Amino acid sequence: MDRRSFVRNACLGSASLYFHGFAHGAQSDIPSPKAPHIETRGLSQPMPSPLGMPGLFPGRVVELSSSEAIVRNRVSQPLIKEMLERGMKELTGENSAQAAWAKFVEPKDIVGIKINPSGAPACCSSPEIVREIVTGVQSVGVPAGNIIVYDRYAYEIDIGSYQALVPANVKVMGVQDAFTGTAGYDMAIYCDANFFGEWETRSYMASVVARGVTKIINVPTMKDHSAAGVTGCLKNLGYGTFNNVARSHRAPYSFTDPLIGVMCSVEPLRSKAVLHIMDGMRQVWHGGPLTQVQDFIYPAGMLYVGTDPVAMDTLELEAIEKKRRDEGAPSVWEHDPASITSNDHEFFHDPKKNLFYRRPGHIASAGKLGLGVADRAQIDHRRIA
Amino acid sequence: MTHAQENTSSTIASDWPTLLKDNRRTGGREDAAARAPKKVRWQARLGSSIRSAPVLGNGLLYVTTVGGTVFAIEGNTGRTRWKFQIKDQIHSTPSFWKNLLLFGSDSGAVYAVDADLGVKVWEASANGEVWTSPVTAAGVVYFGSADARLYAVEAETGRQKWAQEFGGRIYSTAFAATDAIYFGCGDGNVYCVEATSGKAMWHTSTGNGIDSSPALAGDTLLIGSEDFFFYALDSKNGAVKWKYETGLGIASSPVVAGQLVVIGSKDGYLYALEIPTGRLVWKAHVGGVVTAPPVIADDVVCIQSWGTLAFEISTGKEAWRAGVGGAVQSAPVLTKDAMYLASLDGDVYALE
Repeated sequence: MDRRSFVRNACLGSASLYFHGFAHGAQSDIPSPKAPHIETRGLSQPMPSPLGMPGLFPGRVVELSSSEAIVRNRVSQPLIKEMLERGMKELTGENSAQAAWAKFVEPKDIVGIKINPSGAPACCSSPEIVREIVTGVQSVGVPAGNIIVYDRYAYEIDIGSYQALVPANVKVMGVQDAFTGTAGYDMAIYCDANFFGEWETRSYMASVVARGVTKIINVPTMKDHSAAGVTGCLKNLGYGTFNNVARSHRAPYSFTDPLIGVMCSVEPLRSKAVLHIMDGMRQVWHGGPLTQVQDFIYPAGMLYVGTDPVAMDTLELEAIEKKRRDEGAPSVWEHDPASITSNDHEFFHDPKKNLFYRRPGHIASAGKLGLGVADRAQIDHRRIA
Repeated sequence: MTHAQENTSSTIASDWPTLLKDNRRTGGREDAAARAPKKVRWQARLGSSIRSAPVLGNGLLYVTTVGGTVFAIEGNTGRTRWKFQIKDQIHSTPSFWKNLLLFGSDSGAVYAVDADLGVKVWEASANGEVWTSPVTAAGVVYFGSADARLYAVEAETGRQKWAQEFGGRIYSTAFAATDAIYFGCGDGNVYCVEATSGKAMWHTSTGNGIDSSPALAGDTLLIGSEDFFFYALDSKNGAVKWKYETGLGIASSPVVAGQLVVIGSKDGYLYALEIPTGRLVWKAHVGGVVTAPPVIADDVVCIQSWGTLAFEISTGKEAWRAGVGGAVQSAPVLTKDAMYLASLDGDVYALE
């Protein structure tokens, strides 16, 4: 299935998707169960936005780093401001940060800032970055009241104290207040698949994404993920927008590939996600996404800025793999049965152990869906020290 | 250990000057033993998430829910005496003034409800959500809002006396002393303002925003910051007397027992510090993130963090733990014969 037919199906109603034949990287030593049929229903709209993924700059990723950006586990607000402004200008080729922001948002927009608080408090989207994004969006003329900082679980947002830390009058919301409940979701937009015989086979899109915001700025963190391999732009958007996603992985198997990319392809999520700013201030190289073990959280002091989530996640995967190699941990592609444990404590404290056979191939799968560039040779990687 | 001088202001009987009534965060109860719970007296399912702490008054437990309902529940039986429903979410921990139950809402409205009947008496409004708990001193109710303003309204009528704007969102419940109001702000400052006007008398900067609510012990103002530090400030001028560094940000609010202050950190520990010096007396591992305020009973300090734990206040040694009360913002109400707990998923427990 090519990108055009996928988009048509996703936009115009119910789509029947099969994922036979996707390349799944190097995980061939243990056969995984075959991905089931996935049916999607997106919001009908006449034409996907040109700003939608992969956006205005397919394949381009601006990497910024500074050893001073995070010191003694505190993120520097002035340095974040400087790094983000430079990154936005480099990404867009504009001379001013304001002009760069104007490429993505207009004064009439309702702008959602999709944070990742799931590892809070040890590793989550830095409030310092969120503040600077708010400043950038406001510089274009979007009022604070039309900016919504959101994620799925309100209690995780509370742990991160985002309510107290973002600028006045910006709305902060969790799609759901407790662990269950579908009140915050749109029953007309869903992904339907039966992975392991679960009784509820649908995952519904958050209403704030479907009907609330007009643009989304995605602020993922850089983390190893026990099921997906890494959690970056794609995972933060897909699994942070739809409910009932944990059912896609049951130890030791995972169908995060292809579900993550499929979810990101569903309209209007695909068209609304116009910019991705990956928070690499802290980099989790084992135990993600929820670890609180500081031994595996590295203060990398990095930011990635881009519109192409596939290219950004490809570089993130490369960075996490390098860090794991440096630390003597096995590759996230490894599928050695001896590495699997069902003991949470062992998993959180031993980087040679994992709960699932990770599936980082979801990034390449998303590339095949037209969400971005997964071919490393085609990625325009611009480093700014 | 004595618990003298819980509040330093010359409070009158109806005053409720700080989060959960006083520096021990009692939530309205008169006395407390907080022995290890043995059995469940009752359990109530309220049908909506609870992200606030319950309070107790005249034998009734008052609980606010995210679904916008206030419940008055008989402490002995668990029977709901009355419910009061609003259209908006509620994250505000309720408080009392005389026979009024006060709480804020996400629309910015602050309500005063007859605590016996569950009938609205007055409504005041802010321009942003009010997650703080209203506090009252000398007939004036004070509350902060996400609109960056601190408000003062008459407790009898809800009529606004003043509103002052500051540099960030206010999620820190104020401490209302006789002439001054103290609170933390999202702009990273701790403020002291005149009770009569809201004009700033002093402010002290910390290294990040503030979610924590202060306690006032003598002339020392105690508050945590997201900059990882716990601060002891001179209440007269804001000078830093000492500060203590924890492993992560502090959203929890301090409790005071005599010369000891106890504070939780997101690093998963409770810290007990000497108020005059800042010396660490003990440090206890809770196991999960700590963002809720601890509560002090006779000999223990209790904290909710995905369960409920009690630590000996003199040593920090774990006294007991219970696997109920899963929440990160709530705090137990402790009486001599019962413990009341609210959980994130909407359950309320009375334990004996």
